[in-house]
Amino acid sequence: MATTIAKPESLIGKRIKRKEDPRLITGTATYTDDIQLPGMHHASILRSPYGAARIRGIDISKAVQHPGVVAVFTGADTKDVGPVPCGASLPGLRVPHHYILAIDRTYFAGHPVAVVVATDRYVARDAVDLIEVDWEPLAAVADPEKAIAPGAPAVHPEWPDNTAFTFHQENGEVDKVFAEAEVVVKQRITSQRLIPSPMEPRGVVADYKSGDKTMTIYSSSQIPHLMRNLVAQMLGIADNRLRVVAPEVGGGFGCKLNVYAEEALMGFISMRTGKPVKWIESRRENFLTTIHGRGHVDYFEIAARKDGTILGMKLKLIQDLGAYHQLLTPAIPTLSVLMMPGIYDFKNIRADIVGAFTNCVPTDAYRGAGRPEATHGIERMVDMLAAELKMDPAEIRLKNFVPNEAFPYATATGLTYDSGNYAEPLKKALGIVDYRKLRADQAKARAEGRLMGIGISTYGEICAMGPSPATPAGGWESASVRIEPSGKVTVMTGIKPQGQGEETTFAQIAADELGLSIDDITVLHGDTMVVQYGIGTFGSRATAIGGTALYLALQDLKAKIKKFGGMLLNSEDVSFGGGECVCNKSGKTVALSQIAGASYRAMKLPPNTDPGLVATNFWEPPNFTFPFGAHIAVTEVDRDTGAVQITRYVAVDDCGKIINPMIVTGQVHGGVVQGMGQALFEHGIYDENAQLISGEFMDYTIPKATMVPWIETDHTVTPSPVNPLGVKGVGEAGTIGASPAIVNSVVDALSPLGVKHLDMPLSPESIWKVLQGGRA
Amino acid sequence: MKISGSYLMPFPQERTYSLLQDPEMLAQCMPGCEQLVKIADDIYQMKLKMALAAISGQFDGKISIADRIPPASFRLIVEGTGKIGFMKGNGLLNLSPRDNGTDVIYDGDVQVGGTMAAVGQRLIDTTARMMIKRFFDKLCEIAKG
Repeated sequence: MATTIAKPESLIGKRIKRKEDPRLITGTATYTDDIQLPGMHHASILRSPYGAARIRGIDISKAVQHPGVVAVFTGADTKDVGPVPCGASLPGLRVPHHYILAIDRTYFAGHPVAVVVATDRYVARDAVDLIEVDWEPLAAVADPEKAIAPGAPAVHPEWPDNTAFTFHQENGEVDKVFAEAEVVVKQRITSQRLIPSPMEPRGVVADYKSGDKTMTIYSSSQIPHLMRNLVAQMLGIADNRLRVVAPEVGGGFGCKLNVYAEEALMGFISMRTGKPVKWIESRRENFLTTIHGRGHVDYFEIAARKDGTILGMKLKLIQDLGAYHQLLTPAIPTLSVLMMPGIYDFKNIRADIVGAFTNCVPTDAYRGAGRPEATHGIERMVDMLAAELKMDPAEIRLKNFVPNEAFPYATATGLTYDSGNYAEPLKKALGIVDYRKLRADQAKARAEGRLMGIGISTYGEICAMGPSPATPAGGWESASVRIEPSGKVTVMTGIKPQGQGEETTFAQIAADELGLSIDDITVLHGDTMVVQYGIGTFGSRATAIGGTALYLALQDLKAKIKKFGGMLLNSEDVSFGGGECVCNKSGKTVALSQIAGASYRAMKLPPNTDPGLVATNFWEPPNFTFPFGAHIAVTEVDRDTGAVQITRYVAVDDCGKIINPMIVTGQVHGGVVQGMGQALFEHGIYDENAQLISGEFMDYTIPKATMVPWIETDHTVTPSPVNPLGVKGVGEAGTIGASPAIVNSVVDALSPLGVKHLDMPLSPESIWKVLQGGRA
Repeated sequence: MKISGSYLMPFPQERTYSLLQDPEMLAQCMPGCEQLVKIADDIYQMKLKMALAAISGQFDGKISIADRIPPASFRLIVEGTGKIGFMKGNGLLNLSPRDNGTDVIYDGDVQVGGTMAAVGQRLIDTTARMMIKRFFDKLCEIAKG
């Protein structure tokens, strides 16, 4: 019956060069700061210099009179706007009212207090210095453990215990297994505050048209549709009159998965002044006022048998929330708890979270969001257990992995791991480094007095966030595909890439399904007036959910193409492939471009078929996906300087099926570098008065090209059964796998000196101090 | 942040003590001091220009003197606020006679906030030391005539 059409070579799995890159590397991309509107004003914001202070008065008279200043607004003007939204809900959660400008009290250094609007950015900035605030400094607290101890200054006077929430999760017989365990290891482990530091800071342009009561907000955002809904509420305007455009976004890493005071503030200003207004965050403001990541103090306990079988784990997690809840602040540590079993087969778990208010900028999602903290803790504990039992760290992991036959695997925390083959990446990584020889090399190095370490981490993660019941605003994703009259294809997706390259991967999917060239596909995103609706890009979800919505829309479209093709070929038995329809009887063909033209011209229509070739799909995932992998870091510590050199880094990741291996490798590289940043360099530090003292790149070290080792990447492929593409997600994997691999490696290097644990970052100074102690 | 050190002034203890409390001398010798006006006994209002790393700005503040035990010791309390942040300092100065003059031993605590803290923390210690040294150098130079 069917004539087989020679299927052109699939684009899936090909290292296609990114379609985004020409505009990025030629400087022709449009970022928020590139937007120029006629008559546009510029805003600059006065921020609290104190961690906590009462505002006794604000005198704006000098600023208002400054030449070029259009208006100055304070909290008294904006008090009816907002509040800045918290999208997470937990039982008993205390949510402070988060005004867009402080009213009579500030709660963290950087808290916005007043805004100057002027004809010029520099004038606005200068006039900020003319605002006089009568401050009464108050006692502040920055350390989350001190904040929840008795007698600490209250961040919010109405809640003197500084406790925003507590959260308990338990499964199995925790007390019993700990009582009966042959070995119990305990350790306090911190995941320090990190400053996400995207290359492009935040920025907002707001443009209100009073004639038709419509607003356009341009914002460097990962979530334009959610921002539209929330900012419309904050400003009291209808969502169908607010257009949010996220233009080119120069990195997000979670810090732009948020709605801040500034979007609504700029909207308010544009409504009041009748002119467009722009605010571009300075790098110093970015350090002080854009969310930070991590901020954990974790008390872990692990129980095991002497043979290395893990029986259970306990965790007391103190989350430094900062002064307010941003969009997902309190939800982030709950992800750590969900991830607590890692990829190991044990069912006895107890976790207690205390969410601590501090006089610091809020923490929220940062690449990995809760899972790096959890994985770091678990992988440190497994290594410490191995050291206690004098077992090899690879052997103890292989012994405890969830076995292949157990999938789908129900975890102690209520998740269902979709698919896994956990031993495979580890075996592959061990093979790549030639583990036995490496250990022999290490013994030799030690005999020579060198401090060489080998560190393993085997991580699992929760990706493709997520099924709607598990997410605050819907966890599905949408795609609309329009085959234009010429046969060229326009894809509109609800995701919002910030460097992940979906304009390329999605074009690969569409081109592959339609048998077209990748150059025939245009992928649009980031504009609520263009895209039907969407959730956004975060939680390694874009391809697994957005890509699936696209794939399913394409299936609908292919069915319709076949109807038009059949009509044009006068046949009821047609196939579609390679960009054309073929009559399976006659072998006659008609090209997609002809079919598309006919579908719009609509001189004749197939039965029960509407004109045009457009299909839209909203896809709700039935589950998360659960990627995994094994990373090995080989390090050498300089005895004299404490500097850590990563001499070898191997990452074997399993992210399911791979659409573009080059992009996947890029994601792993970027993730590993950020994980390495946490392990070795980065630390957002507040002093005892809640002053951020790591407020610029001179004091906050992010990895530079010369600090980054050669990263050897490889993969195993275990398709996800959750979606028809079989993909899992890879955006956060590198970050999650890297920090424990590196820290385990350095602890291994220093273990001859009796070192059992080190907290991040492993700066040369901190290691040098350990070495001095070790010699004493 | 703790700041401590000492400076040998080539004057007898009593002369040293009075020099260190002479508002005119202080105004002349304090680096960046643009104005020092007495507003009450032992309390002076001050305008000071300060530079720290890439930032600089004017501070309005107060200096007060307390816990006097002439000619052996006194306490200096400094507070200032400006557009680049704020600072607070509190230090005890002990004067010990030596063969060739008087050793001024200072021991204090400095707190800073705002932009100064965010971008200048690592330089506060060295900047403060440099300012203290300049202050004493100039004081000695003027006092010697």
